[in-house]
Amino acid sequence: MSWQTFILHFFTYGILLYSIILLICYVLIGAFSISETRSYLRKNSFTDYRMLASSTETPSMSILAPAYNEGANIIENVRSLLSIHYNNLEVIIINDGSKDDSLEKLIGAYDLYKVDFFVNQQIKTKPVRGVYKSYNPVYRKLIVVDKENGGKADALNVGVNIAKNDYFVCIDVDCVLEQDSLLKLAKPFLESTNQRVIAAGGVVRIANGCEIEGGRLVKVHLPKQFLPRIQTLEYIRAFLLSRMAWTKLNGLLLISGAFGAFDREIVINCGGYSTKTVGEDMELVVRMRRYMEELDEPYKVAFIPDPLCWTEAPTTFKILGRQRNRWTRGTIETLRTHKVMFFNPRYGILGMLSYPYWLFFEFLAPIIEFFGTIGMIVYCFTYAVNWSAVLILVGVLCLGILYSIFAILMEVLTYNQYRGRKDILGLVGVAMLEPFVFHPFVVWSAIRGNIALIRKQNSWGEMTRTGLATAKKAS
Amino acid sequence: MLSYLYFKNLYDKNFDKWSLISDLLIRKAVFYDDEEFEGDKMIPVTARAEKLMKNKHFRKLLVNEIMSAKRSITGTSADNLKHLYVQLGLDKYAFDNLLSSKWHIKAKAIQELTVMDMHEYVEQISAYADDKNSLVRMEAQSALIQFNGFEGLNFLETLYSPISNWHQIKLLQQLSQLPPANVDMTSWFTTTNSSVIIFTLKLARIYQRFDLYYEIVSCLDHEDPAVRYEAIHCLNEIYTDETSDNFISRFLNETLKNQLAMIKVMATVGTEKDVEFLLDLLTHENDEIKVRAARALVQSNKDGMISLEKYSREQNQSINEIVMHIKGEVAA
Repeated sequence: MSWQTFILHFFTYGILLYSIILLICYVLIGAFSISETRSYLRKNSFTDYRMLASSTETPSMSILAPAYNEGANIIENVRSLLSIHYNNLEVIIINDGSKDDSLEKLIGAYDLYKVDFFVNQQIKTKPVRGVYKSYNPVYRKLIVVDKENGGKADALNVGVNIAKNDYFVCIDVDCVLEQDSLLKLAKPFLESTNQRVIAAGGVVRIANGCEIEGGRLVKVHLPKQFLPRIQTLEYIRAFLLSRMAWTKLNGLLLISGAFGAFDREIVINCGGYSTKTVGEDMELVVRMRRYMEELDEPYKVAFIPDPLCWTEAPTTFKILGRQRNRWTRGTIETLRTHKVMFFNPRYGILGMLSYPYWLFFEFLAPIIEFFGTIGMIVYCFTYAVNWSAVLILVGVLCLGILYSIFAILMEVLTYNQYRGRKDILGLVGVAMLEPFVFHPFVVWSAIRGNIALIRKQNSWGEMTRTGLATAKKAS
Repeated sequence: MLSYLYFKNLYDKNFDKWSLISDLLIRKAVFYDDEEFEGDKMIPVTARAEKLMKNKHFRKLLVNEIMSAKRSITGTSADNLKHLYVQLGLDKYAFDNLLSSKWHIKAKAIQELTVMDMHEYVEQISAYADDKNSLVRMEAQSALIQFNGFEGLNFLETLYSPISNWHQIKLLQQLSQLPPANVDMTSWFTTTNSSVIIFTLKLARIYQRFDLYYEIVSCLDHEDPAVRYEAIHCLNEIYTDETSDNFISRFLNETLKNQLAMIKVMATVGTEKDVEFLLDLLTHENDEIKVRAARALVQSNKDGMISLEKYSREQNQSINEIVMHIKGEVAA
């Protein structure tokens, strides 16, 4: 066997082996997800959340919502947060040095005045310029913090310092929450008796195309635009399958920055959100888990499959590319920071399973796919294609589509948000198109993320949004 | 996926038909008038409905609808629904389910028998109050309270399994619907199950059981920090002049969380004799302790603010920001 043939075989069968392992992972993820979701739904059928809403024994919670140049919709967004059903709640809006009139608008709309406030700097942050409360007792839950610009992580750390409750929920200020979202998110913290629940995440869904009135989701529709629609499928797959499966294994590494609840004491002990990464949400969860593993204390990161939070998805390739670029950089930075855990038995599931999975199948997958595709093209031009390998790869592609269809089935069987037959067929349609249209773009964005990291580009990337108030019109 | 959609469609069609039949049955029971019929009370059931009783999907639908109706009505109509439930032999099915090896079927059976007021099954249900499955024991414990009121709490004496905070909230909510009763809780303080002690402390706090003061104070020396935390919280409601002394003597050996809780409660239970202790805390290395101590000082003494300001002027400590913060709170 010549060395050229050896490389060719190594390359072909290496990618094939990688794809087969990935598929086995997907099958296992599907199986674990079914088990966890069924168990959750059964338990949930015994739950009366109204009881929690009226109880004075519920744990106190603080909502932290960082805002940067959100002036266009800030008033409605804050109103939406203030209308959430929960007894012991404070809503902290952190104006992260916005260049627009966000603060002035908030002061005017909510009758705010500056208070003398001692900020306990348990986590070091950029200076706080002022803390505002309302003269109007209707808004007694509201605290607005004005600070120097320091990025999302820094703004959240200020919120953690100012929050006075045991648990905090971080959300993107432009997200729309279900009215009972906090009640559902509080439950895992109350349920566990033998493990400390350090964080809980909820499902984030795409709000493009949905009807939103007065900051509340009135009716769910499948987005009409292609990109938001395909992201709807992507989110269903990620949240209903992947995250549920990892929850079953207690190996979940990521709680979306758009909506998640955390144990404040553990967050402070861990040093808060890292300002050195653009993937602060994942990095915090990994650091909290690592901290608990090193303390050798039983703990859990919980996840709720109910759709609790609705967010606006990027509608253009330009914005979507920036988002995926950032996600890639965040993943790499997090994996690099915590590389000590890689196949380290001291960290249990976290070190032996979660970390390697993220390294091999989240970080490396786009790179392998990218070079695999280039290799395939080169083979085609040099007539060196191994057709049996191509057939197997086509099979892998079909199984990928099947995986998406399985995710749609799970959605129909569980929460069935998109009730119309047309909507379901629409989702199946994008599942067929995704590997050819959307997926290559995601892979390319990830490659660009890797290049940006090598070039030490660490910008967040501007995320222009249409605004959910107009989502219906926009789609 | 297509086969699933086909069967779902088929089930939905049946579901609509069955819904009509069960609605009719429930309506007949709710508006049933004893005087219209002679002999034993028998709610008329159509032959079709009788035949459908063999179908477990129909039974499930019917039971859910009867339970839903029973939850929202009281009086004779509720009794009639219970009668219909027994007449159709649904209690026997529920009892069979109680013996199932699957936790969710067992828990559902307990819930069903509880909602339908099937008091005759209380003995069988009580056997599950310490079940290894948390949902089963939660439903069983709730059933015991539903059937026996505060007396139903006797399961606490022998409970080995933990009661989660979630379940404690549920039990407290259930008890809040009942007229208060002065049950003997002293033995619950001596159990080895920390969650039982925590729940007892909550009961003592909510029902203002001043007679249990010494039992509550004894919990300040419990080995579990969570029990001590709840005891501190409880003493915010049930306290004497010596409560703050109990805190001060244990303060240094406590966890940070419990120290913070103690200072917070001292805002309520503190007196003039505690001023010195609170002023000392203003030099503590932890800023949160300083803020809470300053707040407790102001809230527990009418001259607290004067003491705080005087201290701030005399000491070189930079607690001015904290003083301003507390002043702001007082003004609001």
